[in-house]
Amino acid sequence: MIDQLAFSQALDLLFTDFAPWMWVIPGLLIGLIFGSIPGLQISMAMAVFLPITFGMDFLQAMLFLTAIFTGGAYGGGVTAILMNIPGSSSSIATAFDGYPMARQGKHNEALGLGLAASVVGAFIGYVLLLLLIDPLAAFVLKIGPIEMVVVVLWGLTLIATLNDSSLPKGLIAGFLGLILSQIGMSTTGIMRTTVGNPHLLDGIPVVPAMIGIFAASELLRLRSGSYLVQDKTQRDISIKKILKGGAETFRHPGVLIRGSLIGALIGAIPGVGSSVANLVSYGEARRTSKTPEAFGKGAPDGVIAAESANSSSEGGSMTALLALGIPGGAATAVLLAAFSFHNIIGGPSFIRNQTEIVYSIILGNIGQVVLLAVIGLLMLRVLGMVVRVPLSYLVPSVLAMCAWGGYGITGTIAGPLTVAAFAGLGWLMRCNDYPVAAAVIGLLLGRMMEGELVRTLQISGGEPFRYLLERPIALILFIIMLLVLGGAPLLKALGKRKKNAT
Amino acid sequence: MLGKFPATHAALLGFIFAVSAFITWSAVSASSSLNNLVVVAPVAAVIALLLVVLVAKAIREANASSETSQQSGLWGDLLLLSGFALFCFALTKLGFDVATFLFVWGGIALSGEKSLWKPPLFSALFTIFLVKGFGSLFPYPMLTMVL
Repeated sequence: MIDQLAFSQALDLLFTDFAPWMWVIPGLLIGLIFGSIPGLQISMAMAVFLPITFGMDFLQAMLFLTAIFTGGAYGGGVTAILMNIPGSSSSIATAFDGYPMARQGKHNEALGLGLAASVVGAFIGYVLLLLLIDPLAAFVLKIGPIEMVVVVLWGLTLIATLNDSSLPKGLIAGFLGLILSQIGMSTTGIMRTTVGNPHLLDGIPVVPAMIGIFAASELLRLRSGSYLVQDKTQRDISIKKILKGGAETFRHPGVLIRGSLIGALIGAIPGVGSSVANLVSYGEARRTSKTPEAFGKGAPDGVIAAESANSSSEGGSMTALLALGIPGGAATAVLLAAFSFHNIIGGPSFIRNQTEIVYSIILGNIGQVVLLAVIGLLMLRVLGMVVRVPLSYLVPSVLAMCAWGGYGITGTIAGPLTVAAFAGLGWLMRCNDYPVAAAVIGLLLGRMMEGELVRTLQISGGEPFRYLLERPIALILFIIMLLVLGGAPLLKALGKRKKNAT
Repeated sequence: MLGKFPATHAALLGFIFAVSAFITWSAVSASSSLNNLVVVAPVAAVIALLLVVLVAKAIREANASSETSQQSGLWGDLLLLSGFALFCFALTKLGFDVATFLFVWGGIALSGEKSLWKPPLFSALFTIFLVKGFGSLFPYPMLTMVL
């Protein structure tokens, strides 16, 4: 599976000179900062810092840019835990249980859980990439629209489980998100409503909407309190407690490994990536848990599942880039630009002819993961201080940052106005116990779903079910999904019946 | 009977109904091909069904409950929400710096800070940090009046 000569050459490239590592720590710091500020995207950070990689050699440039990627994946989780503001769509599920933990004064433990799960998840993702780059590349090539439909459907099933008070409320929130995703030009070029606003031609901007519905509406609710953590004695930032939280992660090996595997697999599918991976992983952790009722109220399993999946999806997303030369998302598109600056073309010939470089990129990323544990731990002391800021100052300041973040995404007034509109909607939903996360999931996956469904209909000649039977990967994924969705509750019901009988 | 139906719940359900109906009407008017309605049509149908269930449930609960829902803090939330919407709109009118300074100052005062000098000082420092730090990372031009 591993070319041993190339592997030893890769080790030689990485460890005989300090130069490749010189930019890794700055890269991780940049990623952590960009990831933790809503509105500053990881891909934006990579694009902003791309020009400074001109003067670097290829390996150095790749390690610097992937360090931003790695740091950003964790940074998004920090604000999700501390303030219920996912830094990016890949951290949505982290907020579900991380934030309730923080509100209970367990912010140190939640940050530790998130950091350890991110480190292990990214490590597993890259080790899998190292071992399975060839078969994974073959798998990616076989992925078509119908397989994507199944994966997106899997992500959407989470909507049904996000019901704070009743199932109809959870469902209608998700379906509201889905129908809102249909504003603007359709994937086939048909112009649907834009309410006369040209900014809505491409639909509602998802990230500003997410910032508004999650963050701004939550901040309005917090307004009447004094601090994020009410108990003064629990407002400290304790490395000891963070480490305790980190150690706690390893007491949930099943959730950790399953989350990492789900993340690596879904991350490898171009265009889907970490935003779906964290949702699917969270949903699976909840479905298979012995205490599903604890989810959404501060369950460590929820944080582990979400963070391990979004971090391991980074390794998965590198599969398509390295093995096929196609970017799976915005961040890997910037990496592809770095490839072209250095006259390198990703794909089968890159793997065949420059195996040692491919291995050194992967091994360098495994090294970065270890550094992330150290840098993340040090940065958490600073980022965690947010719990000591009085809410009277924190709420207006973060609200202002939310509006700025909206502008940072769109570059027009449409961003801040979307944040404001969705803040109002989120506030109304929270007032009446509707799960805002379900609406975000619908909005995030609706457009993806429509595009893949239309392509499936076109390819299948209007017979998607017959086509499904001809696609073994889609069929297997579909059967697994049905088994997972129907099997877990069925087993639980059977177990209960047996218990009652005895 | 409807007097006990919480106003915020009625507003939310009304919003969901209006938005779903408008998007569905717009999509059907644009084209009634399967490709255009593949998501809109089934989603709109499910929303209509769920709305009936939720309205019936809400009316039943309103009849069963003798207490009116807690509305404390509602007006404060609405005031801050309106201020936030105004601030978002003013960013490109007043400038990012002036709008941010005024909003953060007003927001702190509205949240109960008694000190007269702390809110404007904090707001000024925070605005400088945003404009010079956060704003410098934006790849877009940003209107400012003072900074």
